[in-house]
Amino acid sequence: MLRADSTRDGLTRGGLLAAVCAVLLAAWSLGVADALDGILEVRSAYVNIDKGVFLLHARVEYPVSPAIRTALQDGITLIVDLEARVDRDRHFWFNANIVDLTLRRELSYHAVSDRYVVRDTHSGDLQTFSTLDEALAFIGKVDAWPILVEPQLNGGNYTISVRAGLRRGHLPASLRAILFWTDDWVRESEWYTWSLPV
Amino acid sequence: MVTPGVNGRAPRGLRWIAVGQALLWGAIGLGAFLLLAKSVQNSSEFGRLQLWILLVDMCAVIALSALIARKLWRLVQDYRAHVPGSRLTARTVGIFGALVVAPLLIVYLSSLEFINRGIDSWFKVEVKQGLVDALGLSRAALDLRMREYSARTVALAETLAGTAPENVQAKLDAERRASQAQEIALFGAHGRIMALSLENPLENLPSQAPPDLRRQVEQHLPYVTLEPQAGGRYLIRTAAPLGNGPDPRFVVALYMVPKQLAALSEAVQNSYSQYGELAAMREPLKDSFRLTLTLVLLLAMLAAIYGAIYSAQRLVRPVQDLIEGTRAVGKGDFATRLPLPSRDEMGFLVHSFNDMTKRLRRARAEATHSQQAVERERERLAIILARLSTGVLAIDRNLTVRNANEAAGAILGTDLSGASGHPLPELAAGNERLGQFVAALAVRFAAGREEWREQLDLDSATGRRTLMCACTPLPGEDADIGFVIVFDDITALLQAQRDAAWGEVARRLAHEIKNPLTPIQLSAERLRRRLLAGMNEHDADILERGTRTIVQQVETMQQMVNAFSEYARAPEMHITRFSLNQLVAEVADLYRSQAPRTRIRLELDEHLEGIEADRGRVRQILNNLVTNALEALEGVSSPQLDISTKLEASADVAYAALTVCDNGPGFQRELLARVFDPYVTSKPKGTGLGLAIVKKIIEEHGGRIDADNRPEGGARVRIVIPVKDSTRSATAGAREREQLRRQQA
Repeated sequence: MLRADSTRDGLTRGGLLAAVCAVLLAAWSLGVADALDGILEVRSAYVNIDKGVFLLHARVEYPVSPAIRTALQDGITLIVDLEARVDRDRHFWFNANIVDLTLRRELSYHAVSDRYVVRDTHSGDLQTFSTLDEALAFIGKVDAWPILVEPQLNGGNYTISVRAGLRRGHLPASLRAILFWTDDWVRESEWYTWSLPV
Repeated sequence: MVTPGVNGRAPRGLRWIAVGQALLWGAIGLGAFLLLAKSVQNSSEFGRLQLWILLVDMCAVIALSALIARKLWRLVQDYRAHVPGSRLTARTVGIFGALVVAPLLIVYLSSLEFINRGIDSWFKVEVKQGLVDALGLSRAALDLRMREYSARTVALAETLAGTAPENVQAKLDAERRASQAQEIALFGAHGRIMALSLENPLENLPSQAPPDLRRQVEQHLPYVTLEPQAGGRYLIRTAAPLGNGPDPRFVVALYMVPKQLAALSEAVQNSYSQYGELAAMREPLKDSFRLTLTLVLLLAMLAAIYGAIYSAQRLVRPVQDLIEGTRAVGKGDFATRLPLPSRDEMGFLVHSFNDMTKRLRRARAEATHSQQAVERERERLAIILARLSTGVLAIDRNLTVRNANEAAGAILGTDLSGASGHPLPELAAGNERLGQFVAALAVRFAAGREEWREQLDLDSATGRRTLMCACTPLPGEDADIGFVIVFDDITALLQAQRDAAWGEVARRLAHEIKNPLTPIQLSAERLRRRLLAGMNEHDADILERGTRTIVQQVETMQQMVNAFSEYARAPEMHITRFSLNQLVAEVADLYRSQAPRTRIRLELDEHLEGIEADRGRVRQILNNLVTNALEALEGVSSPQLDISTKLEASADVAYAALTVCDNGPGFQRELLARVFDPYVTSKPKGTGLGLAIVKKIIEEHGGRIDADNRPEGGARVRIVIPVKDSTRSATAGAREREQLRRQQA
């Protein structure tokens, strides 16, 4: 009579458990990953130098979905970031970061006026738009954003990277730890990288 | 010996680990307490610190889980290995754990339900509807304003359409002042400002017309919109085309919403936004509370379980020590001393245990001392028994041997050194003498005789042995009663007594009978000489035959008396060194010529170079033995006589062994025990003194003689005498016994 090997049984049970966990994790990730669905990418970007100041111009496409529209109309504020990094290339070590800037705007829906409001968190300026598309088009068009001045460059090769981010804003601090793991209202684009023409 | 697990202290490393754990727990507890103290002061601080509280809790949960898992793993291992106290610990941990976990789970489930219901109650439909209604109310109020301002702007556009260009600015200023507008501008083709009226021209710049505004007025439609401004202000932007014709001009007016209305609307907007954000946070908020609650409860539960395990182990430790100590005592380790755990009942129990082991240790020392004394006495007794020539045999009622000395085995003709525990009937298998001995014992025990003293005669192929036996019961319980049987082989003593008796007979015969024989013979010869001449032939013949018979019988008696005299006398021995092998060869050659039919074979040991003895008496021994053998071989078809010599050694004394064997009928079994007695013979002729004289000569040489029958048939006589005369004194027991015998006689 053959006897079952308890070790093999244990492995089988462990494998089955791992498979169930993997399936549950995949189902969970599929279920929660559609809040910010759509294209989020930096379409184009370049810099020009005006009187020693490097001005960044970028075109970013942000996703527009019914979930975003509904969430905005329910009172949620979206934080729209554009990160710009300038690194000096190094051969035998990590690149040296020269500049790390973030252009942050808040997009919200003003229910009383039925308009979409874009607020620059740095200057506090408000822009209102009658449609979400206009508001996102405004946000996605960045022109002449000064990111660097010539004295910051000291020879060598430099790389500039741009990345767009979109997330739900005005979170209580107590929830950030929770939402760090579970929030599907956070997305970031791939880095758009090119060499800085010095 | 002290049991390490009982009295041993923890190693230095383990103590440092314990101290480290205590410090870690203290730091975690203090940190959690400080964070909690700071967080309860205000909610924003709690929000900032919650992440750290969660991290601390998680670290504590992980550390506690690891510690509990380690302790449970060891507990399971101990349980499987049946370590003393492990079952008690497991049971205690189970009970404590159940007592702790059950209420915590109830509290946990209740709290979860409370959190769910509490948070859900914040987002009731009525609240949402109230906000929507407030929003609608605000919009209605603002719409009223917007329609009013839009109508004014449309009216202004109609007025401006018919106004000459030089009067347009005045109209705009008048209208701005009348309507309290912030700005009124007239735009022309391509969005160019044709006229502008500002409330504060030095501070403000004209605003650009938004694209949607331009699209709408290009379609000859009025435009109005409400634009929120920074600081909670609201701006109403209105626009209207100047006429329905191709005139591209349009007027744009900006009106600020009154502060009170703007503030109320902004409050409604803020409430609506905050509610929306909070509603979106509902599930994460629940998750946050659930996570916090779960972590805290998990921490409490794990701490309680760890405390339960720790308490159970501390509680069970003295019991474990007692179990280990009891086992150690059970294995004979009375040096075990248990550490006193406390001064409670358990401490009293441990103290009593230590007192008990102390008494046991003392008692065992005394018992060991007594046992050693008994062992010494036993060894002495064993030495005495071993040196005794008397056989001592201790048996029980079932005849199982308890003890036996060497002499017992020697007397009974078997080796009893390893016979303890074996029944005597089993040992007697194949041993005729021991079998008869066992049968005699069995008969007496069966008859219920437990104390007796009797003489036992044991017959075997090697001869009859006479034992003087005494049986005495040993003290003991009924089932354990035993007997000691003391017996001595008195065969030699009886033989010596017989020898002494026969010597006396021989001496008396020689003295009392020999003297009258000569006068009888002389008288018979004188009668014949005197009377024969005067008798007739018939009487003379009778006298002649009578006197001849008398003379012949007297001569015969003379010979017999001489033989007895020879047996009785103790002549002076003339010890010389000669070759026994050569003597044996000479005697054999002599008898080969006398008995040519008999095949005489010699097997002489060449290592036997010479012996110190009386050569003439040794020759007499050989003559007697060979003569006896040849007489026994008469009538045998293939008579054969084997004579062998061999050099033997025993206890550093060299012996010469002489064996004479024949293939005749052998000794009669009933005569075998007395074959060396005088006048014991199976032959029709002879005095029966041959072997008796041989035995006497051998004993005078300090040797011994044995006679038995060979298994293949025929008699065998074996003589052993010391090679050197100087060693004969040590083996001259027989000679001394002879002298003793004579003295006794």
